[in-house]
Amino acid sequence: MAARQRLKAVLIDLSGTLHIEDSAVPGAQEALSRLRRAPVAVRFVTNTTKECKRTLLERLCRLDFDIQEREIFTSLSAARGLVERRALRPLLLLEHSALEDFSGIETSDPNAVVIGLAPEHFNYETLNKAFRLVLEGAPLIAIHKARYYKKKDGLALGPGPFVTGLEYATDTQATVVGKPEKTFFLEALRDLDCQPEEAIMIGDDARDDVGGAQNSGMLGILVKTGKYRAGDEAKISPQPHLTCENFPQAVDHILQHLV
Amino acid sequence: MAEMDWKHTIRDLKGVVLDMCGVLYDSGEGDGVAIDGSIEAVKRLKASDLQLRFCTNETQATREKFVAKLGRLGFDICVDEVFSPAPAAVTILKERGLRPHLLVHDDVVPEFDAVEKTDPNCVIIGDAADNFSYQNLNKAFQVLIGLEKPVLFSLGRGRYYKEMDGLKLDVGVYMKALEYACDVEAEVVGKPSPVFFQSVLADMGIQPSQALMIGDDLVNDVGGAQSCGMRGLLVKTGKYSYRWCLRPQFQKVTAVTPSAAAHAFMPRRLSVATSLSDHSELFMVTEEKPRDESSCTDACIDSVPGDVTRLTQWVQNL
Repeated sequence: MAARQRLKAVLIDLSGTLHIEDSAVPGAQEALSRLRRAPVAVRFVTNTTKECKRTLLERLCRLDFDIQEREIFTSLSAARGLVERRALRPLLLLEHSALEDFSGIETSDPNAVVIGLAPEHFNYETLNKAFRLVLEGAPLIAIHKARYYKKKDGLALGPGPFVTGLEYATDTQATVVGKPEKTFFLEALRDLDCQPEEAIMIGDDARDDVGGAQNSGMLGILVKTGKYRAGDEAKISPQPHLTCENFPQAVDHILQHLV
Repeated sequence: MAEMDWKHTIRDLKGVVLDMCGVLYDSGEGDGVAIDGSIEAVKRLKASDLQLRFCTNETQATREKFVAKLGRLGFDICVDEVFSPAPAAVTILKERGLRPHLLVHDDVVPEFDAVEKTDPNCVIIGDAADNFSYQNLNKAFQVLIGLEKPVLFSLGRGRYYKEMDGLKLDVGVYMKALEYACDVEAEVVGKPSPVFFQSVLADMGIQPSQALMIGDDLVNDVGGAQSCGMRGLLVKTGKYSYRWCLRPQFQKVTAVTPSAAAHAFMPRRLSVATSLSDHSELFMVTEEKPRDESSCTDACIDSVPGDVTRLTQWVQNL
């Protein structure tokens, strides 16, 4: 293996990696504490579109994780940035709880569509509304294109299938701001004075977490919790730097080999 | 040369296949509305010596219900003349021993009555309209992702269709959604699948080169038919969009003249008269006596993705 620069930052996925819905992955809190004692910066990166930063933070604190709001970077923040830069008035297909991160953005007479994970909006009527806007020229901005995610009672469709469907309907391409887009990972590292080659990503989604991170120059560790399914590691190229059981094991590896 | 090809085609023409929604009628409130001139056109086609079949990707009703509706609108059509995806899918299911989970419109479910549906080993999606709820899509997804060998049938792959109150998403959009979610490729039953067109040709007992498909969907009707060797004619009613003429393959065409000029060309048995006005073009089939050669022009877009030379010539002749 080629010599790599010293590790300066660890990006950690939330849902499926540190916790699954309202339960922490066993041993994760303690593993995070051990990681923090090492000379690395830590960032929590997530494509979760249902929840604003404050809600995410509250859950993580309830689960006894030692995390600060400024360490959280979400694809919602990335989307808001894009909407503001282009002065757009979006139709927001987002869960109610995510709207807080868009407060102050004009949404009447929409000329753009922002689409996240919003099952209540993925009905025929609302999707037709979004479709007609995009067909008339409104940009389609996707928080991310996750295919599915894990709930306690099984897998559930993410926003990706609906974004893909709208792209096909309108013969356009969405601008995707979340994982696995390169810009997402680079934005997450922006204020850490850290090159991608000096960073590593830990996540449960082979394509979106590990594949995306490795594509931007980082290393990736795939954990077998959350939405992981047997054989996922073979679905990306190059394969993950490491595939291991869970977040605590990933931290063990980092502390033993990379720091 | 384009004009010679078209005249040869018409001379050899033995059968016409008509798309229905967007060519014969526009759907919407109640039964919808017949498109001006189409009832008459069907009558004239039936009175000619051409064979006639109807090819639809309609999956919001059984063929019987659908044909009855067209009867109420004034069309003279019978069930045996209509080819639609649901019966074609049933044949495939039986051939391959498949049991479907259905995500289709309630009114087309009866077409699947004779099919075993418990313990499904495949998923079929149709134009389910309001049944395309997140919950229903999720159920279909869960069935698919749980199969060792996921098999997804899509009854058509259209992007959208026109109803009286605007454009609406078609089955192809949800097919793409499930394909993406499960990383599988759907098998399309209905237009533009070659198998579907071939079954219509077999029923008529004619070769592809002897058949003309007429539709409002550039890709699924005209493109699909032409891929099998049939001729295709695009009408400017229904979901037709002038924007198609602005796509890269048509880029040398600056505009289709929105004047009311009528162009007719006269093969021996049939003439196709198209009146070009803005975006509300009608397709009318009339029987007229042959005129002299010099007044004939090629009045159809005969190749997809686009024989730009022919199209340019055609536009210049307007």
